[in-house]
Order: sequence, then structure tokens, then C-alpha cells
Amino acid sequence: MKRKELHSLLSPLSEKLYRFAYTLIPDDLQAEQLVIDSFNAFLLRERKKLMAREVDLVSKNGSQILRRQYFKGILQHMLEIGVRRSIQLSEQIKVSRPQEYVPYYSLEPKVRFVMSLRYDAQFSVEEIEEIVQMPRYEVIEKIHNGRFLLLSDLNRGVNV
Amino acid sequence: MIEMNSNYKMFERKIVPYLDGSLSSQEVSEFEAFVMTHPDFEQQIKNKQQEIQLIKQMIPVAVFSKETKESIESEMHASIFNLIKEEPKGLFDSVRIRWEEWRNR
Repeated sequence: MKRKELHSLLSPLSEKLYRFAYTLIPDDLQAEQLVIDSFNAFLLRERKKLMAREVDLVSKNGSQILRRQYFKGILQHMLEIGVRRSIQLSEQIKVSRPQEYVPYYSLEPKVRFVMSLRYDAQFSVEEIEEIVQMPRYEVIEKIHNGRFLLLSDLNRGVNV
Repeated sequence: MIEMNSNYKMFERKIVPYLDGSLSSQEVSEFEAFVMTHPDFEQQIKNKQQEIQLIKQMIPVAVFSKETKESIESEMHASIFNLIKEEPKGLFDSVRIRWEEWRNR
């Protein structure tokens, strides 16, 4: 694959990647930096495979499948880097998080990420397993806990 | 009657996994067959769907400004050209690569 082809394949992912980065770190600049760092980590790990790959970008379906596969690869790195960074920046996040999303940002970073994968990007449980490199039961547990905590918070709000 | 109740409870527990997509294909078929024969069960599914809708609303959607888009895409472009080396296939390809590298300096 040529660099130009790779760029045209990956640049449409920028918005989706940013959304995910923002779920881990609700700060514009930090989220942007997280996208770039995850992207670079992905390129460094996969560069040989990427260049060796022959792609037919004319076929819309083929490029969509490939784009989704690379998207998942970048998200893998984002989770790894982002969770660490989110823990380091936890005090800053308490200040910068948008007020309407406080319950969401009170969840653990990994749970937030899994919840967004499931409910925002609509990944299947199998795909989430692949991205977060966790066994199925752990993925399901994280989704269940996230849902339970968010709904409990909502019910508390209603009862107050 | 007891059997019917236990069946009902069992499928009730499967509503969320069904909506989550975490059931196996066989379980999905069993679940859908049960729903077909128990129309009252549909209300429970609707309630769960509403619950999921609420959860989706609690997940933030970041505002992706034009500046952020431009900045991320130009960084992506630079990363691709800096981190990835293309192997030239012949003289013309080699000239193309050198030209692209010069343009992206």
C-alpha cells in the first residue's frame, strides 16, 4: 500500500477517534494528543504489514472492511495509553469534565471506554473483546457494571 | 404453570444480553421464538430499549471542531510520511517517492 492510499484510508477516522479519546480524557488538547499518540503507536507496530498489503481502494466494501480493522487496531492502543493517562490526569478531569456527564466520568476509564464501544460505536461484544483484549465474561461484566452505575445515578437523581 | 414461569424468568434475564448482542446465534433464535409466542413480553423488551436509550444519552459526544479536524488530519499525514518508508518499484516509483517526500518536508 502506498502512503497516500493509507492516508486516504485512515484520515476519515479522525472524528470517531477523537470521540473515543474524549471519553477517556474530556479535554480538547489532551484528547487530540491522545488520538495522535495512539495513531503513531499503531503505525509503528503495524508499518511492515501496512506497506506489504495490496489494497483495492476502488472497492468501497473492501476499503470499509480494512478501515474498520485499522480503526480497531488504533483503539487498542488508545485504550492502553488513554487509561494510563486518564488515571494520571484524574484530578484535572474532575475539573474539566462537562457537568452534564458527571455520572459517566465517575466510572472507571476502562468501563467508560467499553460503554462507548458498545453504545456509541455499536461494536459487538466479540469486537469489543478483540479491542480491549479481555475475555468475554469481563467485557460483559464491564458493560453490566457501567449500565448499572449509570442507571442507579439516574434513579438517585429522580428520587432526590 | 411453574414451568411456564421459569421459562418466562429465564427469557426475562436474556433481554439485555439479547439487546447487547451478547447471546449466541442459537440463543437468539430461541429468544425470538419465545417472543413470537408471548406478545406481552414485547413490552418488557421496549422498556429495556428505553433504558438503553437513556444510557446512550449519558455518554458524551465530543464537539469536533474544524480546527481540531485539521490539526489531527495534518498530524496523521505527517506521521504516515515520517514513520513509513515506501519501497520503490522501479525508477519512476523512486522519483515519485522522492517527490512526495520533498513536498511533505
